[in-house]
Amino acid sequence: MKITNVAIIIACKIISKAITLFNIGSGSTWPGHIALALNKNFIKEQIENNKKLKVILIAGTNGKTTTAKLTQYLLEKNSIRVFQNEEGANLLNGITSTMIKYSNIFGQLTYETAIFEVDENSLPLILKEIKHPAAIVILNLFRDQLDRYGEVNTIALKWEQSLSDLDKNTFLFLNGDDPQVYYLSKNLKTKNFFFGIDKSFMKKKDIPHDVDSIYCPKCSSKLVYNAISYSHLGDYYCAKCGLKPDRISTFSDLKIKYPLFGKYNIYNINAAMLLVSTVFDIKFEKIEKYIEGFKPAFGRQEIVKFQGRNLIILLSKNPTGFNQSIEALSESSIKNKNALIVLNDRIPDGRDISWIWDVDFENIIEKVNKIYISGDRTFDLAIRFKYISGNLETRKINEDLYSLGSNIFVIPDLKNSVKIATDRAAENETLFILATYSGMLDIRKIVNGKKLI
Amino acid sequence: MKKIDYYLTIGWLYPDLMSTYGDRGNIIVLSKRCEELGIKADVKRIGLEQDKKEILESDILFMGGAQDKQQEIVNKDLLEKKGNNLKSAIENNVPGLFICGAYQFLGRYYKTADGMMIDGLSIFDLYTENPGIHNNRLIGDIIVRIDDLRFKINDLKKEGNIHKSNLINHKSLLVGFENHGGRTYLGKNIEPFAKVIHGYGNNGGDKTEGIFYKNAIGTYLHGPILPKNWELADFLIQKAIFTKYNRVVEIKDENHVLEDEAKQVIVRRYLS
Repeated sequence: MKITNVAIIIACKIISKAITLFNIGSGSTWPGHIALALNKNFIKEQIENNKKLKVILIAGTNGKTTTAKLTQYLLEKNSIRVFQNEEGANLLNGITSTMIKYSNIFGQLTYETAIFEVDENSLPLILKEIKHPAAIVILNLFRDQLDRYGEVNTIALKWEQSLSDLDKNTFLFLNGDDPQVYYLSKNLKTKNFFFGIDKSFMKKKDIPHDVDSIYCPKCSSKLVYNAISYSHLGDYYCAKCGLKPDRISTFSDLKIKYPLFGKYNIYNINAAMLLVSTVFDIKFEKIEKYIEGFKPAFGRQEIVKFQGRNLIILLSKNPTGFNQSIEALSESSIKNKNALIVLNDRIPDGRDISWIWDVDFENIIEKVNKIYISGDRTFDLAIRFKYISGNLETRKINEDLYSLGSNIFVIPDLKNSVKIATDRAAENETLFILATYSGMLDIRKIVNGKKLI
Repeated sequence: MKKIDYYLTIGWLYPDLMSTYGDRGNIIVLSKRCEELGIKADVKRIGLEQDKKEILESDILFMGGAQDKQQEIVNKDLLEKKGNNLKSAIENNVPGLFICGAYQFLGRYYKTADGMMIDGLSIFDLYTENPGIHNNRLIGDIIVRIDDLRFKINDLKKEGNIHKSNLINHKSLLVGFENHGGRTYLGKNIEPFAKVIHGYGNNGGDKTEGIFYKNAIGTYLHGPILPKNWELADFLIQKAIFTKYNRVVEIKDENHVLEDEAKQVIVRRYLS
């Protein structure tokens, strides 16, 4: 079998080169597809053949890419050799491709650690192949693409079942502020740790609209919240059965300079800190000082220069993610903000766009000078804005430009919307782009291509 | 006729449990539309903690869809506490909109994927069965035609003097998104809400979508349904005014360019 896998790796490396060379598709999933077709036990056997490799799995609805990238950065700063899967290549194919890419031609993975961000539905599948991961992080669980992932309770149930097969050698890091994620720990053999954020960051008192788990995961009574950080994350307990999380690491006593805005990123950073310090036994001072220098991934608050204007792209793919992006935009100290909001309904975005009605877009209106709306479902988003901004007059200026009042512009063609939003911006204005997944990828193409139309 | 001040209470059933698919949008549209028509409207949230009499104090009822666990909690509350009042409101012509899980509750029973029978409120003569986990959920964009609803408004026209712009004749297509495991089958002599043009509807077989009973509509269309299909919001409001005041409210012609374009995006995708 070993020889077969070596042959597969060599063949797939050649195929991967060819794909890149002839520019005929993404090299990040095809090799894995082929390898698994030739040997469905490829992952299992490669993990078995590289016993020293520590595998870290990062799961959750929001924050996987940032947390994975930050973990890799912190480990590398501490001289640990790491590889990880490319953003989005987080199904079995993508993970297999990544393993092929980093294997040498003898089939060996000569790294200390592998970090795989894992899609919600794929976590149980991966755990069938990788039975002894060193660590698993579960960041949160929100409704996301219900047409593809199903309901959050279904996902929680699947996760719970697959986690119960793990033994005591696996470290499990769970978000203690998320009731359903916290409760996953109840019957497991793993070594469980919990992260959260300091209560001083929890400024909300009323339960917001974009919640999924405000009923007790144990007894189904409504939970009591002392304070809320966002969505259903917060300081909660059950008055009926007494469920209350404890031992939550918040790193409140450290003076961390957080390099990214938004509360969601404090969770991501605290999760990575807890993992790196616990699993690799690295002291906090060797972690803390590097955090400020972390550079985010594309679409995660990275600042891009485009035609002389600053763009900040915030991937916003579900109600909670969108509300958090809006909060991040509001809290950012940057002055003179405009926003371009992109809504697509392709497979990676989810085909159902109902969730835009669970986003509190009213919070963005006061914070920006102008709003541009675009994407495959431009008009649905425009209707959402029509209903929050008072009695605004809708005008069709031409086939490709509508206005809603004097500050909101509806531009179905994405290229055109980027062009108009940057052409009309003053030099000191920053354009925040809030986009669903495929919208973000399209924006990346437009911005990297530099030229418009 | 003397001008009177209209006042409507919109009863939103189980807002924090049955609200998984952007259903808040329907409430936002109903309230805003009332305001534009000069009707004072209040939204009353009727959850587990509220008394069942609040259902009888509502002039329009709305209930959305949810996930299985939340549905269990709600089903218990409906069967034990609020179901009778919901039945009498609907029987007394209070207009209502019941989406997805809410629609299924109002039927006779729901048979789950593993064969368990869950009693419904038997307000609508229909039943729903989930054919098991090996069958696909019915998921995707849906386009329906609402000739039957137009018929109902014509009835209203006979009863009162209604402005012709009140008639739903806007190409009579509604668009939405459906996502349900259960297949719903209507009883004999039951009027469906609409006819399926693209998508699955009640059961993916007989081309019916939803139910129309008295002034209540049960449907699988979320999206949410009302923002794009504004005609339906106006229809529910008119029915509510007629039921409560025995008057017909004037509907002004409005600018619906965004709604029409939004619908056309989906219609063009499947029907051109």
